[in-house]
Amino acid sequence: MDLSKLKKRPAYPFETIAVAVSFSPRCLPVLAQAKYLSDVLNASLLLIHIGEKSSEKERQLDDLMSKLGMDDSHYRVIWMEGEPVETILKLCKLNMVDLLVLGALEKENVLKFYLGSIARNISRRAKCSVLLLTNPTEQPIRYRKIVVNGVENPKTVHTISTAFYFAKHVKAKDVTIVNEVNVPGLAMAIADDSTAPEAKEIKKHFNEEVEEHIQSIVKQCDTADINVMNKSVKGKPGYAISKYAKDRKADVLVINSPDTNLNLLDRIFTHDIEYILAHLPCNLLIVHSRV
Amino acid sequence: MNKLGHSDIIILLASIGGLLILARIFAELGKKIKMPIVMGEILLGIILGPTILGAVSPEFSSWIFPKAGASKIAMDGITNLAVVMLLFVAGMEVQLQVMLKQGKTAVYTSITSMIIPFVLGFAAVWFLPNFFTFTPDRKLVYALFFGIAMAVSALPVITRILMDLNLFKTKVGMIVIAAAIFDDLTGWILFSFVLSLMGQEGEITSIGFTVGMIFGFGLFMLIIGRYIINSTLPWIQRKLSWPGGVLSIALGLCFLGAAFTEYIGLHAILGAFIVGIAFGDSVHLQEREREIIYQFVTNVFAPLFFVSIGFKVNFIENFDLPLVLLVFFLAVGCKVFGAALGGYMGGLTKRESLAVGFGLNARGAMEIILGTLALNAGLIDSKMFVALVVMALITSMMSGPLVKRFID
Repeated sequence: MDLSKLKKRPAYPFETIAVAVSFSPRCLPVLAQAKYLSDVLNASLLLIHIGEKSSEKERQLDDLMSKLGMDDSHYRVIWMEGEPVETILKLCKLNMVDLLVLGALEKENVLKFYLGSIARNISRRAKCSVLLLTNPTEQPIRYRKIVVNGVENPKTVHTISTAFYFAKHVKAKDVTIVNEVNVPGLAMAIADDSTAPEAKEIKKHFNEEVEEHIQSIVKQCDTADINVMNKSVKGKPGYAISKYAKDRKADVLVINSPDTNLNLLDRIFTHDIEYILAHLPCNLLIVHSRV
Repeated sequence: MNKLGHSDIIILLASIGGLLILARIFAELGKKIKMPIVMGEILLGIILGPTILGAVSPEFSSWIFPKAGASKIAMDGITNLAVVMLLFVAGMEVQLQVMLKQGKTAVYTSITSMIIPFVLGFAAVWFLPNFFTFTPDRKLVYALFFGIAMAVSALPVITRILMDLNLFKTKVGMIVIAAAIFDDLTGWILFSFVLSLMGQEGEITSIGFTVGMIFGFGLFMLIIGRYIINSTLPWIQRKLSWPGGVLSIALGLCFLGAAFTEYIGLHAILGAFIVGIAFGDSVHLQEREREIIYQFVTNVFAPLFFVSIGFKVNFIENFDLPLVLLVFFLAVGCKVFGAALGGYMGGLTKRESLAVGFGLNARGAMEIILGTLALNAGLIDSKMFVALVVMALITSMMSGPLVKRFID
């Protein structure tokens, strides 16, 4: 498998959108959202089904797609048997998928969370961007409010610019870039030897530094007519932005892909992204910047 | 005497009141000349204790900080509470995920900055026993303790230095923080292991039991305890008065954890430290609550503890220059070398690696607490205690300028 082209591929535009077809009750809404996105982003649509190919399933899929007004010239279907997570990840790589659309429950029970569901396991390991849809409907979702992470990481610049690209095409109104302030030892250091004005100044300085960093990224992006806001939230990375997105009733939360392959240890000693996956606050777009 | 008399109560209250106010004045004066807060507090103890005031007017010194009787027992109780709470708040700053996600360089730095000073400190006692004072049957425990004393770091001091130098969010800053968290975590677990070994040297079954209990308690608290605390904290915040409810529950759990580890034969500090990690890790713990807990501990109990250090020993009589120099140079050499080596192996430049080394070299209050507990346990003598305190203070003060020198 030649992955060199994949590695150099920018995070956006999303030229190929894949969707996992499960024939569950949520299958049609998920397909509808994938179709909507492929239309607005001018991307080709790839349907992936992991399981045995049968004429019954083919007929079912044709029915679903015709309900969405699509004939088989508008999409490709891949049927493959195998372990779902591994097979989907492999097919995404082979077909240079830029965005994989999956349906996901907002919250899973504790056991399933620790063992890992298909959608969440793919999110942890995918080498392309992943959109987890919590409440897909047959009507296009109106992505009005978008919340993006502004965490200091080389990937963030790609995530923010991808968020603006997405926002522009889905006609979003607001993009809020959120930076989570979490400094180990800061509270104790301040408690030890800072006057009230000094403590205030230290916190202000942290916020200003973050805002400058985010402003410099936003300047490079095509923000069109979108209302851009910066917000600093205090708390554990991952949890704080998730709570903010929920409180703000965001339509989609956009975050960086994890830096490493996450494992069970990251669920026990919770990694930032695991706080979000444990309880999805809204639809979640994980941007894989491939840098 | 099994209760505090009228005059004991007056003495106790007056000495606590006086010490708190004087400690604050000394700390603020020290701050003006860039001295760590803790140094001002220790200096006050040295002035009022046997080193200066005690030599001139022993009666007055004993009146301020009673050396015997019910008031002394009460004061000892307060300083013990202070140590337990200090370890609790130190635990609250340990963020396991910060340590886990920093990548290869942080992993190398964390491991080498802990192992190299530990091994060199242990080897110094083992192969050069004449430089140290210990009873022959405690050689192993003493060597283990000295190894740990060389390896610990002080996260709050380091955070402050990085903050002042505006290095917090840099690669070097994050590596130093991750390694300091690792050093704190392993250092305190090892130290409680060493303290629990006192008096049971050579008994393999006891050692096995101790190790098993440490791991058992640690894993229970960090997995199940952490989950329970995180799940119940929102209820506490909603249903109990705020922030009093959170403060009471936090410190209540801290003391229960401390009591439990003391009961099972480990030291109380381990329970407080691990409960602190579990409590501080909760995503529901608000910044304001965290600050209130810290303010309460670091401004009410910590000064009493650090002032009490000056009352424990005569710093002039027990100032053994060769030992002070040995401890200082060994501590600086092995910590800077160990941390810098890890940073270099992880891909940092030589100058960045040395900045990491000097950053982690700040020992601060953690080393002083470690020394005090070892002195109280009868593991080290007053001379070693003085040498450790001097080393902790000097490394804390030299850390900032040296990090700056190598990072500029």
